[in-house]
Amino acid sequence: MKCGVRFCGGCNPRYNRREALNEIESRFKDIDFVNALVGVPHDLLLVIGGCTNCCAAYEQFDTKTDVMKMWDVDHIDMIEKQIKEKIK
Amino acid sequence: MLMTGAQYIESLRKMKTRVYMFGELVENWVDHPIIRPSIDCVAMTYDLAHDPEYADLMTATSNLTGETVNRFCHLHQSTDDLRKKVKMQRLLGQKTASCFQRCVGMDAFNAVFSTTYEIDQKYGTAYHENFKNFMIEVQNNDWIVDGAMTDPKGDRGLAPSAQRDPDLFMHIVERREDGIVVCGAKAHQTGTINSPWHIIMPTQAMREEDADYAVSFATPSDADGIYMIYGRQSCDTRKLEEGADLDLGNQKFGGQEALVVFDHVFIPNKYIFMAGEFDFAGMMVERFAGYHRQSYGGCKVGVGDVLIGAAALAAEYNGAQKASHIKDKLIEMIHLNETLYCCGIACSAEGYPTAAGNYQIDLLLANVCKQNVTRFPYDITRLAEDIAGGLMVTMPSQADFKSDVVCGKNGETVAEICDKFFSGSPACTTEERMRVLRLIENMCLGSAAVGYRTESLHGAGSPQAQRIMIQRQGNLAAKKELAKAICGITK
Repeated sequence: MKCGVRFCGGCNPRYNRREALNEIESRFKDIDFVNALVGVPHDLLLVIGGCTNCCAAYEQFDTKTDVMKMWDVDHIDMIEKQIKEKIK
Repeated sequence: MLMTGAQYIESLRKMKTRVYMFGELVENWVDHPIIRPSIDCVAMTYDLAHDPEYADLMTATSNLTGETVNRFCHLHQSTDDLRKKVKMQRLLGQKTASCFQRCVGMDAFNAVFSTTYEIDQKYGTAYHENFKNFMIEVQNNDWIVDGAMTDPKGDRGLAPSAQRDPDLFMHIVERREDGIVVCGAKAHQTGTINSPWHIIMPTQAMREEDADYAVSFATPSDADGIYMIYGRQSCDTRKLEEGADLDLGNQKFGGQEALVVFDHVFIPNKYIFMAGEFDFAGMMVERFAGYHRQSYGGCKVGVGDVLIGAAALAAEYNGAQKASHIKDKLIEMIHLNETLYCCGIACSAEGYPTAAGNYQIDLLLANVCKQNVTRFPYDITRLAEDIAGGLMVTMPSQADFKSDVVCGKNGETVAEICDKFFSGSPACTTEERMRVLRLIENMCLGSAAVGYRTESLHGAGSPQAQRIMIQRQGNLAAKKELAKAICGITK
C-alpha cells in the first residue's frame, strides 16, 4: 500500500515536518510512504503543513480515499488513527 | 525543464559575459572566490525546486505551457500564488542568509507581462506577444533573468533628456527596421553577472520629450557592447585569504551587485517590449516596484530568521540565555521580523487580477511593507549586536586561532591563548562561539549587510518613494470625512 506525501513549502514551520513523517512511518511498517506524484494513483494521501495555514496544494494528486492533513506535531496520533480507519 | 544547481552553474560557463573587478578583466568569474558564493546562492533556488519538502513553494504550473516551472519563472495566477511567492522568498532567505538574486527577474516578468498587454491595447503594438514568447523561452530554459530598472540618473534635478550626458539614462540611440540600438547603464544590479539574460525597464515615469528613454527589452547578458563592473562589499577581500572559512561568517553564500554598461547594444524587434510609449513607463515602474516591495516582506524575513537564530546561539554560548532582558530582546526581534512577514502576506492576500490576467499586489500594503523593511532590519541588527557583545568586532582572526607560534612563558601558542581567553559557556567550543559571532558580523556589517541593511533601505526604492505612494494611496480625504461624521461636522 502506498501513501503519497505532500509537504507544504516549509517557510515558517512550527515543528519538524520530516521528523513527524518519520514517526508516522515507524508506526506503519507495511505502508510505503512516497513523495506524491501527479498522474500516479495513491492509496492514501497525507498533506503535512508546517503551520495552521497548511497551504500545500494537493488537488493535482490522485488518491483512493479522503485526503489526510496535519499541521501540528500533536496531530501524529490523529493521523495514525485516520490511517488505521482507512486501511481496515 | 527544472535545472539543478549544478546544471545552472555549468550553464554559466558557456556565457561570455564580460566582468571587471579591481580594475581587471575577470577571465573565470564562475570560480572567482569573491563571486562564487553569490552563484552558489542562486543555485539554491534551483536545488530546492527538486526537494519534496520545498517543491510546493518552489514550483508552479505555467499558464503559458502547462508545464511545471520554477516559481521564480512564474506569472502569478492567483492571490495564492502571490502568497506562495513571499513564502518561497522567506525559505530562500533562511537557507542562504543572503540575497539570492532571483526575485528581480520574477518581479520584472510580472510587471512587463501586464504592462505590455495594456500598451498593445492602446497602440496596437505587438509587445505582449513578444514578451509571452520570451517568457516561454525563460520557462523552458529555467533562466534566472536580471530585472534591471535603476539608471545612474546623474543630476537628480534634471529630466533624462536634459542630462549633460545622455547615457546617464538608458535610451534608444538608433531605430532600425530590424530593431533598436541602446546606450546607457543600470546601476546596483543584483545578480547581474549570474543571470544569462536581462530585462531592461525604464527607471521612472517619462514625459514626451523623454520618449527615447521609455524603453524595455530583453537581451542576453553577453551581447556585444554589454559589460559589468563588480560592486565592492564590506570585508569582500576576506574571501581571497587562503583557507578562508571562520572569518567569513557565511562561507557558502553571498549576494552580488554590479554596474551594467550598454555601449551601443543592438536589440532585435522580437525582444522589444516598449520603445517610446512614454505614457506607460510609469505603469511599468510602479508595478515592478510594487512587486519588489512585496518581495522584501519575504526575503528579508528569511535572513532575519537566521540572524535571530544566531543571536540566540550567541546568547547560549555566552551563558546569558536565561537573562530576562536577553529573552525579551529575542522576542522583540521575532516580533519585528514577523511584522514584516505580515505585510508581505497581507499585500499578497489583497492582490487583484490585471487586464492581462496575472495578479498584482495591493500597492498601498506593499509600500507599507517596504517602508517597514527600511527600518526593522536595522532594529534587528542592533539587537543582535547587543546580544552578541563587542567580541563580534574585536576578536582575532582565524589565523590566530590556528597559529602554532609560541607567545606564552610556558610555551603556549597564539591559538592556545586565543582558545583560553575567548572560551565561553561549556555548551560550545571556542571555535563554535567564534563561528556564530562571525556570522552575526557578516549579516550586520560584513558582506551580507549589503543585502540585509542598505538594500533594505534603498532596494526597491528608497524610503521616500514609498512615502509618496502611501500618500497617494492613503485616501486622506475619506479619513477626514470619517472624523467629521463622528464628531458632527456637517460642512
